[in-house]
Amino acid sequence: MDHIFFLGTLICVWIIVSVAANLVIGYTGMLAMGQAVYLGFGAYAASCLNIFLGVNYFVAVAIAAVASGFVAVLTLLPLLRLEGMYFALATLGLNFVFFDLFRNLGPRVEGSEGLYGIILPAALATPTAQFFTTLAVAVLCIIAAARLVKSPLGRALRATRDRPDALLSLGKSPTAYHIVIWGVAGALTGLAGGLYAATLFYIDPTLFTINASILVLVYIGVGGLASIGGSILGPVLLITFTEALRYLGLPSTLMGPIQQALYGALLIGVMIFRRKGLVGTHDFQE
Amino acid sequence: MISRSSGLQIERLSKNFGGVHVFEDVSMRIPPGQVTACIGPNGAGKTTLINIVCGVLSATSGDVLLDGRSLLGLAPNKISRRGVCRTFQDVRIFPSLTAVENVLAAFPDQRGEKLRCLYRPGSQWGVQERSNRETALALLDAMSMRDLAERAAGQLPFGQQKLLALLRAVVTGAPILLLDEPAAGVELELIPRVTGLIRRLAKDEGRGTLLVEHNVDVVREVADFVVVLQGGSVIAAGPCDHVLRDERVIEEYLGRIYDA
Amino acid sequence: MANALQLLTIGIGIAGYYALVAVGFAIIFATLRIFHIAHGTVFIAAGYLFFFLYRVYGVDMLWSGLAAIVVAALVGLAIDKAVYIPVMRRGGGLFSVFIASLGVSLIFDAGFLVYTKGVITVARTAPLAIISVGGVTFRALDLLVLAVVFMVYGLLYLWFHRTKTGLAVRGLTDNRGLAAVVGMNVGQTRTLIFLVASALAGIAGVLTAYDTGIAPDTGSRTLFVAVVAVILGGVRNILLGTIFGSLSLGILTAYAGFFFPEWVTFGVFSTMIALILVRPRGVFG
Repeated sequence: MDHIFFLGTLICVWIIVSVAANLVIGYTGMLAMGQAVYLGFGAYAASCLNIFLGVNYFVAVAIAAVASGFVAVLTLLPLLRLEGMYFALATLGLNFVFFDLFRNLGPRVEGSEGLYGIILPAALATPTAQFFTTLAVAVLCIIAAARLVKSPLGRALRATRDRPDALLSLGKSPTAYHIVIWGVAGALTGLAGGLYAATLFYIDPTLFTINASILVLVYIGVGGLASIGGSILGPVLLITFTEALRYLGLPSTLMGPIQQALYGALLIGVMIFRRKGLVGTHDFQE
Repeated sequence: MISRSSGLQIERLSKNFGGVHVFEDVSMRIPPGQVTACIGPNGAGKTTLINIVCGVLSATSGDVLLDGRSLLGLAPNKISRRGVCRTFQDVRIFPSLTAVENVLAAFPDQRGEKLRCLYRPGSQWGVQERSNRETALALLDAMSMRDLAERAAGQLPFGQQKLLALLRAVVTGAPILLLDEPAAGVELELIPRVTGLIRRLAKDEGRGTLLVEHNVDVVREVADFVVVLQGGSVIAAGPCDHVLRDERVIEEYLGRIYDA
Repeated sequence: MANALQLLTIGIGIAGYYALVAVGFAIIFATLRIFHIAHGTVFIAAGYLFFFLYRVYGVDMLWSGLAAIVVAALVGLAIDKAVYIPVMRRGGGLFSVFIASLGVSLIFDAGFLVYTKGVITVARTAPLAIISVGGVTFRALDLLVLAVVFMVYGLLYLWFHRTKTGLAVRGLTDNRGLAAVVGMNVGQTRTLIFLVASALAGIAGVLTAYDTGIAPDTGSRTLFVAVVAVILGGVRNILLGTIFGSLSLGILTAYAGFFFPEWVTFGVFSTMIALILVRPRGVFG
């Protein structure tokens, strides 16, 4: 039963990450391939604040989320002049740059590759508690994001995605919207990172590689672009499905590769047949 | 909601792209409350002129002044906020937004576009949005497009998209409008709506409009002044009737239009 | 001093492999604008097939190598026909093709992981002959690789400049639209591009499998360095640019690998981002 709660918590974490990613990719049209960086930053920031400075974990996560937002904007600023594939490549490169940073400079417990020892508050102390707390946070994020996308800001983001040059002629700056939404997504992803660390209890850099960034792309690609529902559907469907695969009785060494091959096939399938995803609203032509 | 302006002044503007002279020493004035048409053969540089005024391209020499302040070197969105708004020849509406959303996107100073207002109780962004929406729907109604309000703009026929783009520019409240062929591609029966709107904008709202247009009937219908741009310079400028009857203009330009 | 020269030699050695992988990638990117990240997959697929035929099935080494190269060419072509063309035909743009390419890599890499259980696979049975010249040591194989690179680039040059098909390919790098207007069969040329580029990756794969061996992630690693080499050299002059880029990256990674082994990945990708920001067209672009 604990395992099911653990799975539920993971799903909630990835829902938050997917909602954030969909905001920048689906709604605003920014080809972001490096969201794992902010997930990792949030996880590390929250963990360190708690382990080394004794900050209450909830406070630590909140601080980590805000800090992630700032780091996200900082990493975006030099890339603002890039477009299309070049932007995508640069964000992809960030994954690797930060991986080495996490691995070489990242804090760790003596003698191991990673970090553990978070002092969890009661609301995150057991798998059950973790699930309900993370679920609550996920629901709040969903509500906040839904308000955003239905608002004039959401409309401005879609306009930015469609024709940034026309937006300029109307007196508005696509760059300003890019920065705002990237910061929001970075903060949300960092928040998810903090919750992720609490769930896993042990984090190391290998959790936050390009694979994690691709994972988010698969989730929203399958779930649906520019859709809050899609950001929920993707992680729910895929995490549940890959979990179900475990019960097929295949050797555990095969599970990783099978999942990877499956996700590869899904990416290809989505790109060929349905770039909109299952419930998405944006069929991107890029 | 429309700010006032004393007009746009284009002074001795020249543009060449590395040796290719597009135009040279072009001057004209866009006074408030009047429609100034700019006509001339394709490639004469009319769109380039608009691009320079709006900050998309740089000028080789000369100046563009709005209420006495130079616009050169400013970013396009800054120029638009100062009060000069343009439409595009190839429309450029937001295809995935609905018709009404396209118009709504253009309203300036929306509180709902600011992140901090969205989550702050008491910011009243919802009230402002509802009011904007009413205005937008009324405008669509005036263009007989009310029933298309919730349709994705990308799926509308070209003529309707053109009207939508025009409404977008109108809604920014800019006192100076630069319209790049607003009637081209519009269905015949819709053209009176275009001309009617342009005239109302000038006469009722006091906006100054630069109209780049090939359709001489439209020009005759709405323009107070006409500037003829050809071969890189202004070959004629003056009140609409005079210019359209000028022999040189008829021979060089209008004659070809009627033959074609 | 000897150390510096030794590192230089090592750098030139690995540059050879990069040069073979990079040129294929560059040709595809320059002509079709496709970011064929699965090129790395083709590269190690050839390596694994070579190992399989030569070491597991006992086929003669030369025939194994040739077969691997031919299969690599076909696999590369198949990826284009089965994945990229369908994506583009249904309205997908270059980014969609890139993501699909990523998907292809994921599938193949998973397969290789299962096949090899992550162990590095070396096809060679005998140790390599070592040559020592003036305080610098290298292997006879290094000379072979350089000879292959020289020959390949030479043949490519002749192909691009003296043959009708090669000129057609070059035509695509200059102006896609123009090529279509002139009536060249873009379809056939596209097939040829993928066959040639993939075969070149296959050569690199066979040699690498023979040399230091390959692991499932060797493909992506090598490919990304090759990508940086291509960005550095630019695609205006594919052959010159790729040679320059490969040499630079080979030497840089050799030095970095010696002095800052923990930071090689960081270095390679920081370089990539810096290049994209400062000079995306490359040194010769």
